[in-house]
Amino acid sequence: MTAVRAPATARPAPAERGHLRAVARLLRLELRHNATPWMLPVAVGLFWFTTYRKATAMPPLWYPRAASLHTGALLAFACPVAGAAAWMGSRDRRRRTTDLMMTTAQAHWVRLLVTWTATTCWAIVGYLGCVAILYGVTARQASWGGPLWWPVAVGAASLPALSAAGLATGTLAPSRFTAPLVAVGAFFALALSTQPIRGSRSYWQISPVVSGPWDDGSDPGVATFYPYLPDLSIAQVMFLTGLTIAILGALALHAGGGRRLRPTAAACAAVGLLTAGTAVMLAGTGRLDSHGMIAIPALHDAANDRPLRYTPVCSRTAIPVCLNPAYTSYLPVTAAALTPVLNEIAGLRAAPGRISQAAANYHQDTGNSVSVSMAGPPHSSTPPVFRTLLPFQLSGPTMTTSELTAAVRSTAGPDLVADVIGDGPGATPAQQAVAAALRMSAGLPEAVLRSAPTRQRPNGAIVPLPVPVQAAARRFAALPAPARHAWLERHLAALRAGRITLAQVP
Amino acid sequence: MTAGTARNVPAHAAPDRRARLAGPPRAGTRLLRLHAASRRVPAAIVAIAACAIGLRIALLGHWDTYGALQLPLVFEAGCAAAITVTTASPLGEPERVTGRWLPFLRLATALALTAAATGALAAAGTGAHLAGGTLDVLRNLAGMTGIGLLCAAALGGGLAWTGPLGYLVVGAYGLYTQWHHPALTTPWIWPAHPPHDLGAAICAALVFTIGIAVITVRGARDPAGE
Repeated sequence: MTAVRAPATARPAPAERGHLRAVARLLRLELRHNATPWMLPVAVGLFWFTTYRKATAMPPLWYPRAASLHTGALLAFACPVAGAAAWMGSRDRRRRTTDLMMTTAQAHWVRLLVTWTATTCWAIVGYLGCVAILYGVTARQASWGGPLWWPVAVGAASLPALSAAGLATGTLAPSRFTAPLVAVGAFFALALSTQPIRGSRSYWQISPVVSGPWDDGSDPGVATFYPYLPDLSIAQVMFLTGLTIAILGALALHAGGGRRLRPTAAACAAVGLLTAGTAVMLAGTGRLDSHGMIAIPALHDAANDRPLRYTPVCSRTAIPVCLNPAYTSYLPVTAAALTPVLNEIAGLRAAPGRISQAAANYHQDTGNSVSVSMAGPPHSSTPPVFRTLLPFQLSGPTMTTSELTAAVRSTAGPDLVADVIGDGPGATPAQQAVAAALRMSAGLPEAVLRSAPTRQRPNGAIVPLPVPVQAAARRFAALPAPARHAWLERHLAALRAGRITLAQVP
Repeated sequence: MTAGTARNVPAHAAPDRRARLAGPPRAGTRLLRLHAASRRVPAAIVAIAACAIGLRIALLGHWDTYGALQLPLVFEAGCAAAITVTTASPLGEPERVTGRWLPFLRLATALALTAAATGALAAAGTGAHLAGGTLDVLRNLAGMTGIGLLCAAALGGGLAWTGPLGYLVVGAYGLYTQWHHPALTTPWIWPAHPPHDLGAAICAALVFTIGIAVITVRGARDPAGE
C-alpha cells in the first residue's frame, strides 16, 4: 500500500532532528536545574585555600605551579563534583518522581546521559575558571616559558570520571546518604591512592593526582631545561577516559533500553575497561628520567629529550652570572650573593669567564627518594665557564630572599673559591689557607677556618683546619684586597700546582 | 446512648487510666522511634558502622605518617556527614507546630549519633595504630559535626554534608602543611593540631556547641517534599 509506505520513508529525518532538539532542550533544562553550580563556590573556595595560595607563593615557574594545580585542584573539586553527581543521580528517588519519569518520551539512559553531561559541563567550567586565574597570574609573573596543558588535561579528564562515578552510585543506590558517602569515597580514593607508590615503576602512578615522581614535590628544576614529558599525563587521560566510558556503558546497561542499545553499552563498557587497564599497565612501565619526569617507553617521544634552547640572562658583575631566563627573578639575589666572591677572584688567570646555571640530573633511589645532582661537568673550557646548580633547583620548601642569598653563598661561593685555588682532596696547606682566607674575605657564612664540604669534597666533614693553616689564612685575609689580588695574580699558577708552601703565603 | 452504655463508660475508662499511667514512657519511646525513623537514623547508624569497619580495615594496611594522620580524618568526615544528613525532615513545616518535644528530639538525635560515631571509630582503632587516638577522634568528629549542623541550618539537611566534606579537604591540607611549610597554625583548622592542643579543642568544641544549639532551636532548613 503506497499510502503507508510514503510517510515511512519521509519520517526519519525530521524525527531525528526533533529528537536532537528535544535532547538539547533537556540539556538546557538540566544545566539550569543542576546542583553542581551550587557546589562550585565550595570547590572554588577550596581551590583558593589549598591550591591558589600555595601555588602563587611558589617561584613564578610554570612547572611547580602546574604540578601544584594538577594535584590540588583535583582534590578541591573531587568531593563537590562527585557529591553533586550522586545528588543528581538520586534526584528522582528523593523527589519521588521515579514512576513519573518512566512515562517521559526520553529513555532513562538518555536522561542519565544528559544529567551527566550537565554535571560535567558545570564542573569543567568551574575547573577551567580556576586554571585560567592561576595561569593568568603566572603568565604575568613568569619571565620565560609557557603554560603546561597536560596537567590541566588530566584534571579536566578526571571530572567526567568523578561525575560518572557519582551519578552511577546515586542512580544505583539512591539515598540521602549516597552523596556524602560518594564524596568521602572520592576523596579517599584520590588522596590515599598515592600511598602504595614505591618508586617510578609503580602502577599506582595512574592516580590522577600524581604529577611526577611521588614524594619529590613539585621540583622547580623540572621542565625548565628540557621539555615537559607528557607520558604519564597521557596514560592518566587514557585511564580516566576509559573509566568514564566504562561507567557510562554500565549505567546504560542498568538503565535498560532497546535491543540495539544493550550490545553497544556492553561494548562501550568493555572498551572502557580495556583502555583503563592498558593505561594502568603503561603506567607500570614508567621510569624516572634524568630530567626529573616520568618517561613511559611506549608513549615516549624522543624529541622531548632534546634540551630547550634559550638565551641566558646575565648579571653585570665582575664575572657575569648567567641564569636560565625562567629564573630571571632570581638573578639579582644570586648575583648579589656571589659578588663578594667574584670580586676576590675576578681577573685571576684560573677564574672563570662566566658563572652559568646548570641543569639538574635526577636519579631514583630506594623507595620514593630521588637524588638530584648537576648534569654534565662542572667546567666548560672554551669559553671558561663555571657551571653550578643553584639551591632553588632542588626540591624543598620555598626560600625567602635572605634564605636564598645565604644558600647561594654557602654552596656556590665555596665551590667557586675551591675551584679557582685548587682546594679539594689532597690540597696543600697553602691552598687550604688561601681558600679559607678568600672565603673569610668574601664573608661566606660557613665557618671560614674550617674545611667545609664543597663540590670537590662533597662528603667532606666540617673539620677544623690545622692551627698553622688557620694562622696563615688569617694573615692573608688581613692583607688589603689589592695586595691579596696582586699576590694571587703572580702566584696562582704555582699555588694551584702545589709549589707554594705555607710559609710563602704572605 | 442508653443509660446502660453510659454506665459502661467508666468500666472501659479503667484500663485507659492504666494506659495513661503507663503511657508517657511508651508514648515517649514511640515518639523517639518515629522521629528516628523519619530522620533515617537507623540508616545513619549503618553508615557510621560502615565507616568504622572501613577504618578498621584500612588500619590493617601500611600507611606512611601523612597517610596515617589523614586516614581517620576521612572516616571522621564520613561519620559527621552521615550525622548531619539525619537533620533533614521529610515532613517540613507541619512538623514544627505539632509539639514542644521536637527541639529535644533533634538534640537527642544529634548527641546520640555523635556519641555513637565517636565510640564506633574509637573501637575501630582499638589494638591498631590510630593516629591521634580517641581524643583526636572526639575533637575532629565533634568539630566537623558542628560544621555540618550549621550547614544544615543554613542550606538544608540534604546538602548539610558539604560542610564536613569541605572541611575534610581543609583539614587534610592543614596536615599537609605540617610537612610542607609554611604550616597553618590557626586553631580553627583543628585536625592539623595534636590532640592535646587546647586551642584547637576549644575551637572544635565551640563549633559543635553552636551547631547543636542552632539545630536544636531552629532545625534544618528543609523544603517540604525534599
